[in-house]
Amino acid sequence: MIAYNKDWLDALLTKDTARKWHEKGLLSDEKWQIIQERHPSNFYSPNVFVRIGLAIFTLILLMAAGGLVAILVEPESELGFSIFCLFWGLVCMVVLEARVIQPGRHFGSGIDDMLLYVGIWAILVGLCYSFNYNTPALVYLVIAWPFLVAGSIRYLDRLMAVAAFVCSLGIILWVVKEIPRLALYLLPFAGMLSSAAVYLFSKQGQTRYAWRHWHGVLLVLELLSLVTFYTSGNFWVVQQAGLDFFQMETVPMAWFFWLFTFLVPFIYIFEGLRRKDRHLLDIGLACVAAAVFSFRYYYHVMPLTWAAVICGAVLFLTAYFSIRYLHQNEGVYSYEEDSEISLLQEIEQQLIEQTIVNQPGPTPDKKEGFGGGQFGGGGASGDF
Amino acid sequence: MHEPILHNLLQQELIEPEDAEKIALFVSKKPFSLHWELKTLLYLGVLLLNLGLGFLIYEQIDIIGHAVIIVLIGAVSAVCFWYAIRYRKPFSRGEIKSPTHYYDYILLLGCLTFLIMEGYWQFQYEIFGTRYGLATFIPMVLFFALAYWLDNRGVLSLGITALATWLGITVTPQALLTQNDFNSGAIVHTGVFLGAFLTVIPFLSERWGLKKHFSLTYLNFGIHILMISTLAGMMALGQTMLYFLVLCLSVGFFLWYARTRNSLYFLTVAVLYGYIGLTYMLIVHTESLNFGFRFYLFYFVLSCAGVILFLTNYKRFIKNDQP
Repeated sequence: MIAYNKDWLDALLTKDTARKWHEKGLLSDEKWQIIQERHPSNFYSPNVFVRIGLAIFTLILLMAAGGLVAILVEPESELGFSIFCLFWGLVCMVVLEARVIQPGRHFGSGIDDMLLYVGIWAILVGLCYSFNYNTPALVYLVIAWPFLVAGSIRYLDRLMAVAAFVCSLGIILWVVKEIPRLALYLLPFAGMLSSAAVYLFSKQGQTRYAWRHWHGVLLVLELLSLVTFYTSGNFWVVQQAGLDFFQMETVPMAWFFWLFTFLVPFIYIFEGLRRKDRHLLDIGLACVAAAVFSFRYYYHVMPLTWAAVICGAVLFLTAYFSIRYLHQNEGVYSYEEDSEISLLQEIEQQLIEQTIVNQPGPTPDKKEGFGGGQFGGGGASGDF
Repeated sequence: MHEPILHNLLQQELIEPEDAEKIALFVSKKPFSLHWELKTLLYLGVLLLNLGLGFLIYEQIDIIGHAVIIVLIGAVSAVCFWYAIRYRKPFSRGEIKSPTHYYDYILLLGCLTFLIMEGYWQFQYEIFGTRYGLATFIPMVLFFALAYWLDNRGVLSLGITALATWLGITVTPQALLTQNDFNSGAIVHTGVFLGAFLTVIPFLSERWGLKKHFSLTYLNFGIHILMISTLAGMMALGQTMLYFLVLCLSVGFFLWYARTRNSLYFLTVAVLYGYIGLTYMLIVHTESLNFGFRFYLFYFVLSCAGVILFLTNYKRFIKNDQP
């Protein structure tokens, strides 16, 4: 079912797990050496920079080669173009399977990723090109679904999994939206139910040893489903969707959705802490912010400045005293840095580094409303 | 997922049973780290508090006046610098570990508030008049001095940015393309010069044994400024041959650097910039020959295949015996 060599995938997994133990000093150096030697994996998986470079050049190559073939074949009719796209997509997939993955030993090298994306994209364009403009979106989604799901299963690709998840959710919501009269009431619950189902599925799947290779894919699904579950019941989203789809000014059962908007983030956080589940906790924190913004969209209880001051003070004090508490009471929770940082934290770290390094001088003064200077040690606008 | 792997390793006798017990105990008893969450909340809190208070004070501007605000910002900056100097570790030519948890951030905050204070001052009272050079020169000297004295790479980045501003260019890699007008020859020349200068500094500091770990920051700024300036020279100034030569030399230099220092980042970046330059040269110089679309498609296919072949064999290109 998986295109890549499973023994090597297993070896990678074992080595990754053992490396953490080794870093914590639970494994001696000799043992770690032996484990590495006994678990060889010969994948070609270059460094992330080389991967990005390879992906860019593979994309240019595939576009240019596709263009060349198109010039040679000269597909004139609509059908001709469809067939050409299908053909080109199949070529990409065959190259991926028969050349890059098996003899080439590529795994996450940029080349295999790009071939997969371009191949699937070309096939989908080929299948959908001949439809006319008023074809409902549902048709496109239903056609794309099997390819996206198969792609994420066979190639363990996380981006494909994201696409497949969005596609599935789209299909469900689209079908529910067509139910006469009840649609408005059912839509949020359909979103919640399907998200919850995906969440349970991915949580279950992550504990199964047989599904160990899909761990990354399932993790992405878990995060996404947590986000969509909250989004489905958020008052702002429900109200805006009602306005857009059904021209409804007021939301039925408004009390329920307000309750949902504020309760669910805290349930996420509470459960995240109780079960030591970092994803629940992090997304819960983000949802609190979303809840505050949703509330402020409808009720301006106080001026923005006071809101910022109060929120800031509350956040600061909470964090400060929690850190102090954790420093003094080591226990189940700690303030020590963990070596395993999750996907979200990695992104956040990147963002912080980016903004600190790239903050041009004038931006901070503009933000704080001091009117921005002509000058800026960090970066004037080149006007001298 | 830990148990089955542990079990497998035990069966293969790659792990001693005592070790396995230790690991199992560690995995089950490991404390749940709230480090990132709390730190994020703390920063968000500080940011919001600052924004809110800043606006509040600004709304009262009629009552308190500009001078008071400038003094307030200056006071924040001064407190930050005082903290940074008070808790510093003794100077060393190598890397210094930051003394406290928040040390680096407080120092950065001090630098940023210093900039804001100076900018506000200039905006309101024009203390520097039109001598913008001086206005950027002061923070530049300050930041470089602080970066070397207190060993902080964030402040060094600010210093390099101030240097570039002082030389008449706005630099931070991503912002470079959007904020600059590359039509002026002076800016391009300055860029090439600055890029080359920043690239040379790490080699000097390695020779003198002074802050070797700053190399990456310098080189990162250096490669982007140098390459973008030469490309701008080719495209905007029209002196293609001259700047192409400079580009080839710098790409060659960074490939050499990547080869000897084992740096895949510089390898990929140099290849990317080189490819852009080469493609531009080809398109400009074959324009008059009317080769047609097909020729260029062939070029892209063949050249990309070549680059891919080169990049996939990077292990052979890069010397592995170097640390």
